[in-house]
Amino acid sequence: MTGLLLLTLRELRARKVIVGLFVVATAVWLTLSLALQLDVVDGSLAGARLFGETIRDEAATDSLDAEASLKAAIKAAGDSAASVPDSLAVDSRVATADSGVSAGTAAVGASGDDGPEPMPGSLDSLNPLQALVFGAQAFASGAAYWVGILLCLFATGGLVAGLVEPGQADLLLSKPLSRSAVLAGRLAGVGVVTLALLTYLLGAVWIVMAVKTGFWNPRFLLAIPAVWAMFAVLYGVVTLASVWSGSGPLALVVTLGLVFTTLVLAIPGLPLAVNATVRPVVSGLGAVLPRFATVGANLVPHLAAGAGLATLTGETDDEAEPDEAETDEADGAQPGPPSLVADTVPLLTSLLFGAVCYAAAFALFHRRDA
Amino acid sequence: MPDTPAVRAEALAKTYGGKRPVTALHPLTMTVAAGETFGLLGPNGAGKTTFVKLLLGLVKPTGGAAEILGVDVSRPEARVPTGFLPEGHRFPPFLTGREALDVLARIHGVSPADRAARAPDLLDRVRLSDAADRRVGTYSKGMLQRLGIAQALMNRPRVVFLDEPTDGVDPVGRREIRDLIESLRGEGVTVFLNSHLLSEVERVCTRVAILDRGRVVRDGSVEALTRQGRAWRLRSTPVPSDLAARLGLDPDPAEPPAEAADAVLVRSVLTVPDRASLNAALDALRAAGVEVDAVEPLRQSLEDLFVDVVTHPDAAPSFSAPAEAPAR
Repeated sequence: MTGLLLLTLRELRARKVIVGLFVVATAVWLTLSLALQLDVVDGSLAGARLFGETIRDEAATDSLDAEASLKAAIKAAGDSAASVPDSLAVDSRVATADSGVSAGTAAVGASGDDGPEPMPGSLDSLNPLQALVFGAQAFASGAAYWVGILLCLFATGGLVAGLVEPGQADLLLSKPLSRSAVLAGRLAGVGVVTLALLTYLLGAVWIVMAVKTGFWNPRFLLAIPAVWAMFAVLYGVVTLASVWSGSGPLALVVTLGLVFTTLVLAIPGLPLAVNATVRPVVSGLGAVLPRFATVGANLVPHLAAGAGLATLTGETDDEAEPDEAETDEADGAQPGPPSLVADTVPLLTSLLFGAVCYAAAFALFHRRDA
Repeated sequence: MPDTPAVRAEALAKTYGGKRPVTALHPLTMTVAAGETFGLLGPNGAGKTTFVKLLLGLVKPTGGAAEILGVDVSRPEARVPTGFLPEGHRFPPFLTGREALDVLARIHGVSPADRAARAPDLLDRVRLSDAADRRVGTYSKGMLQRLGIAQALMNRPRVVFLDEPTDGVDPVGRREIRDLIESLRGEGVTVFLNSHLLSEVERVCTRVAILDRGRVVRDGSVEALTRQGRAWRLRSTPVPSDLAARLGLDPDPAEPPAEAADAVLVRSVLTVPDRASLNAALDALRAAGVEVDAVEPLRQSLEDLFVDVVTHPDAAPSFSAPAEAPAR
């Protein structure tokens, strides 16, 4: 099986698109490291410049700016289309990590001084520096999710179909390996490369942001397995369709069609908006198919930004006790994600769907004539 | 186990499913002894490739069972002592010839030391040493075929399946492949050869089977299959016509009648039921003053046999004289 894994790695290396993806990833973190200039004084963000241009130089409105920038970044992570400069438009000279941003906490979700009382786990635990880091990382993870997964699918989509093409299948399947080992070897090669690519991109972004700000947000690294897991789910569809049809392009079309379907199914209130006769179908598909949009919009930035996301999107953790949040803050620890368990469910159901696809693909591959 | 056959198929059958199921192989029982050079012949669609793929586990049987060196072919271990050159194979074009041999041998489970020792030797044997470090994508068809043969031999197989090994290979290359097959036979390797080139099969195979529409219609040694019953070719001085009529001597169709009339030696065909009758006929000829120059069993070429069998699958073996005796 090692031989097949190596062959897959060689094949991926020979495909220029994979090399291109590594180049793009390098360009992303290099740009981030060179273009973003931060002035951090005593653990506080004193100024930020992007491409050499000072974004703002005013005090006192810092938290609101931080909030706005983080919201924009998170939205961008969900939409995968926002530009980096907008999402990083942060500039402040107040608020240390110790004191939090008391001025801003009162303004969460409000526009004036009469805003609601600060909620536990809100911006009390988030200063502009953290907001900047969370925002940038949420954006990076979101981009890796929405764009990276699709590019990886394009780059690796034809590999499984190659196993059932007559010329290559005869050479490989006539070796003393079980069919399962052959398919597993190929999938392992794809998995290793995509995981390396994701780790390289997100790991580099994490290091750049941490070095620049001095704020290490290890939660961000959780986005790597989350994004990779969702890629694996979709690659399960590619695998099944490839083994079934023997066509790489068709397998990609099927997979992209599935992604599109899940995006449509993610429209809020869709089951109620459709005809009653098709409502069970829509609901059933929503329950069975992978929740690509939901995971991308909620879980990935959630994992990347942690509490900051929930704070700025107005989410609260009903189970979290105020005292606990305060204790966490006092200890200097990052507050836990407010609704992580709920956000994890779509990923788990998606993983289940992927597991079924892989099981079906292995069974079909085992029985298939070369 | 020296008596274990290299290949044993027991009612092995394959029907491809679909809206209109196609029976590629009717239940087939066959044994290929270890060390044999076996040729499987048949027209396109006869089921030759399906049979080989069944033996190598590439295609799942719909009936029967098969073994390679005593191991059920449904188990991957059965393929450990085998090498396979598939028809229309496609090597990864981004690998060099040397890398392709190494990767495929590695997948086969050949040790690094064996791979390192074996690859240069085989590349040399198939005349690819100079192109070993070129990408496979730049190879000609003949070079690919020779590389395919080399990869089939990387694991020092005891049973080699070669599906159309001379396809796309020039005459010099064909001769080299023939020599290679003969050297494998000398090493005790069982060779299972699928080929359309009947003259090649005739030269290298010790046994052949002819497959037609999924059924074996002939099976035996090349000599036995090409021998035309109890017919003999006789070369002698002219035979008196009354004696020829009494003995049942027929003019040899291979010899033009006009030449025969003027020739010192003529050729004729003598059909007798057994060896004793042959000797009695020869005694009668000598008694009549006929000088016998040569007597040889009458054979048809494998190609003639193949055409006869494929065009008249239900007919008994043909006894019509061939246009030319096989060069053996």
